Amino acid sequence: MQQIISTPAMNTSPLKSVLQRFPFVPALIILIALVALNGFFQPRSLSFGSITGLFSTYLALMLLAVAQTYVVFSGDIDLSVGSIVSLVNVVIIVLMEKWGGGGLTVIAACLVGILTGLACGVANGIMIAGLRLQAIVATFATSIFFTGLALYVLPVAGTPAPEAYWMTYGGTYFGIPFVFYVVAAVAIVLGVLARMRLTTQMLAVGDDAMAAFQTGLPVTLIRIKGYVLCGLFSALAALCITGDTASGDPLVGGKMTLYSVAAVVLGGSALSGGAGTVTGSLIGALIIGLINSLVFFVGTPSEWQNLVQGLAILTALMAGILVSRGARA
Amino acid sequence: MSELLIRGARKAYGATLALRRGDLHLLPGEVHVLIGSNGSGKSTLCKIVAGSVKPDAGEVLLDGKPVTIAGPQAARELGIGIFYQELSLAARRTVAENICMPALPVKGGVFVDRAALEAKAARIIEAFADVAGEGFSADAPVNTLRADQRQLVEIMKALATEASILIFDEPTSALDRAQVDRFFEILRQLKAEGRAIVFISHRMDEIFAIGDRVTVIRDGETVGTSKISETDQASVIRQMVGERDDLATPAVAPPAHQAQRSAVLSVSGLSGPGFRNVSFEVAKGEILGFGGLHGQGQSAVMRSIFGADAHHTGTIALNGKQIAMKSPREAIAHGCAYVSGDRSRDGILQGRPIFENVTPIHFLRNQLALARPASLRERAMRPLQALKTKFQGLEQPINSLSGGNQQKVVIARWLIDRPDVLLLDDPTKGIDLAAKTDLFALIRKLAENGMGIVLYSSEDAELLNNADRILVFNSGSVTRELTGADRTRYNLYHAAYEAA
Ligand SMILES: Nc1ncnc2c1ncn2[C@@H]1O[C@H](COP(=O)(O)OP(=O)(O)O)[C@@H](O)[C@H]1O
Ligand SMILES: [Mg+2]
Repeated sequence: MQQIISTPAMNTSPLKSVLQRFPFVPALIILIALVALNGFFQPRSLSFGSITGLFSTYLALMLLAVAQTYVVFSGDIDLSVGSIVSLVNVVIIVLMEKWGGGGLTVIAACLVGILTGLACGVANGIMIAGLRLQAIVATFATSIFFTGLALYVLPVAGTPAPEAYWMTYGGTYFGIPFVFYVVAAVAIVLGVLARMRLTTQMLAVGDDAMAAFQTGLPVTLIRIKGYVLCGLFSALAALCITGDTASGDPLVGGKMTLYSVAAVVLGGSALSGGAGTVTGSLIGALIIGLINSLVFFVGTPSEWQNLVQGLAILTALMAGILVSRGARA
Repeated sequence: MSELLIRGARKAYGATLALRRGDLHLLPGEVHVLIGSNGSGKSTLCKIVAGSVKPDAGEVLLDGKPVTIAGPQAARELGIGIFYQELSLAARRTVAENICMPALPVKGGVFVDRAALEAKAARIIEAFADVAGEGFSADAPVNTLRADQRQLVEIMKALATEASILIFDEPTSALDRAQVDRFFEILRQLKAEGRAIVFISHRMDEIFAIGDRVTVIRDGETVGTSKISETDQASVIRQMVGERDDLATPAVAPPAHQAQRSAVLSVSGLSGPGFRNVSFEVAKGEILGFGGLHGQGQSAVMRSIFGADAHHTGTIALNGKQIAMKSPREAIAHGCAYVSGDRSRDGILQGRPIFENVTPIHFLRNQLALARPASLRERAMRPLQALKTKFQGLEQPINSLSGGNQQKVVIARWLIDRPDVLLLDDPTKGIDLAAKTDLFALIRKLAENGMGIVLYSSEDAELLNNADRILVFNSGSVTRELTGADRTRYNLYHAAYEAA
């Protein structure tokens, strides 16, 4: 309903306009604080080797957070990302083993893995945007289905990845660890995606789907594309986790789903859609990674680790909210 | 340039017939005014032309050829652009992005051409630059703008389509004088270029200033089209009202000696965002109507009496005792109840059983921490049955009920412990006819039992048939009071449509 008497223009403080444009700034501040804390408790954690280790472990989560961001942009959610990771992981492991594990077969297996992820995304997209099923429930159901498929492909964990695969992932080329090449490539891809028309359209759909429809945007197709991107990045996450663990495990991604959602929220994106940045989600994933290593560095007894980790994530969420609220006031 | 003819357009939403028989003949180079009271089907007709609503029947001819408008995208390709009354903006995108959203400039097939986008937006913003006001810029997110500025963005978005048929569904309702003047200058220019323009407004002065022809629509039916130069304000209003005067004899005679009856609610000099200097009293047993066009301050006044929104100055007294009304909690404790037509936002507890939806006010008013389920269930059942609510059991989730029954549950919530004052803010929005009848019968009975009731309805007939007295709101103030035999459609429209 329109108001006849206009409310006075909201005066925008400089801090607020920075937040409008870069909603991940609170997350960045938290990240820096965590780096400092890690350095304080374990000076060695700031060494090049430790940072490389952090990235090779958490690159998968970072990519999964990116995957989740693309559906959250248009106001959807995907609770099957973790099971897509599991499925792609076992598919490439089984194929690489079957095909002998040479260089070319590794690449071929990775391509099949990526196609698997894309197919999962298409299935989710058609189910949710096309058939109008509730995103939370539908992707919860597909997550069970994908996990079932993964268990069919590889019933028990343990098949090792061929040496060519994990040696490459853990290797160093021209003095730079392989994971940083991956990070650079991902950064370029994300930069390209951010400039695409699709991104603006996804955010418009997430902002107000009805308005987007009335504007003439192909809302269903845009939401499906979000799920396809999500499937793609979930598959890439699977490639990374396979490089890190060097083995097949039909349940490897299960726990990662909600971490990816948490990373998106920590990064300042709105779960209701329409606002957010992929950069924020990457930072959010790193925050989770650093919290985990911090919990370890301060010497938390193992039975307390989960508890402390949960509290730390809650604290980070609250800190993010406080910073944004402070800016709004 | 295009000529558009719509014949016999019809659209029903469930049991509500939004448009019965919509006809419109739009010529190139004219500003064609569409006028009709609230809920008469103007927006529905516009949305059918714009492709965002599919008609149940009717035909559309573009330059004499029958066309089907499959969707908003198809409408744009046919050269139809629209300003939506409720706006179609992405709140967190920038002004420039919103203006270009229907057709984002692209380079390389998939990338947004930022330079082209900014150039296009700048060209359109330029036309309004000196009237847009402070804080308006191409890169401002829409949610940082004032209501009038958002409306300007929607205007610019429609202009950016450069369509040969342009529909403006109440584009001026929030604009100030200078902004309207600028908009009219642009309309005249578009007209000179031969474009066909539909313009909806409730302001008579605007209609007569800019219109060439006027089509009147009443209860979903096109009544007739005439040249603006050959008609006048009074005859347009008479056409909107029709021959019949459907004011039912009020269910009870309006209370005879209002002066002697004690006021349960008295409001004096209330001002706040969206309304100013509003004063009135509601007597025991009276149904006081709030009338006027949409969004003239009626809801804002009710929400601030209930403490849901703030007010700046003025006093509110319940049963003669002045109360600050800082929060709904306080209002409830003092015997005030509020029912909104926007059930999903203000009314129901989503996804919870009916039982939990009926009892919260009872808990609050009696400060219950514990209760015996059996006796509470019985208390909950009584008002639900009195309202003839159709449901299977108290454990049924509220979302599974129809709109009318959901609203009955929300009202039942207030009736376990009788409030003294009941504020009804467009309570029948989106509910079916039978439920409406039940509801108004109940409201009258509550009044007879001594409750003071304030009723705002966006449908004028409801107001005329049910209120004992009507205050007409215009631009945030009460401009007229209609009592007794003065409560006619004609008087109501006249007061509502006057330039404030
Ligand atoms: N989406 C909808 N669902 C149900 N009823 C609707 C909907 N849109 C409009 N209506 C009803 O249709 C009637 C006509 O509405 P509308 O075309 O908006 O009228 P106007 O623009 O003339 O005020 C009203 O009674 C309204 O309540
Ligand atoms: Mg309308």
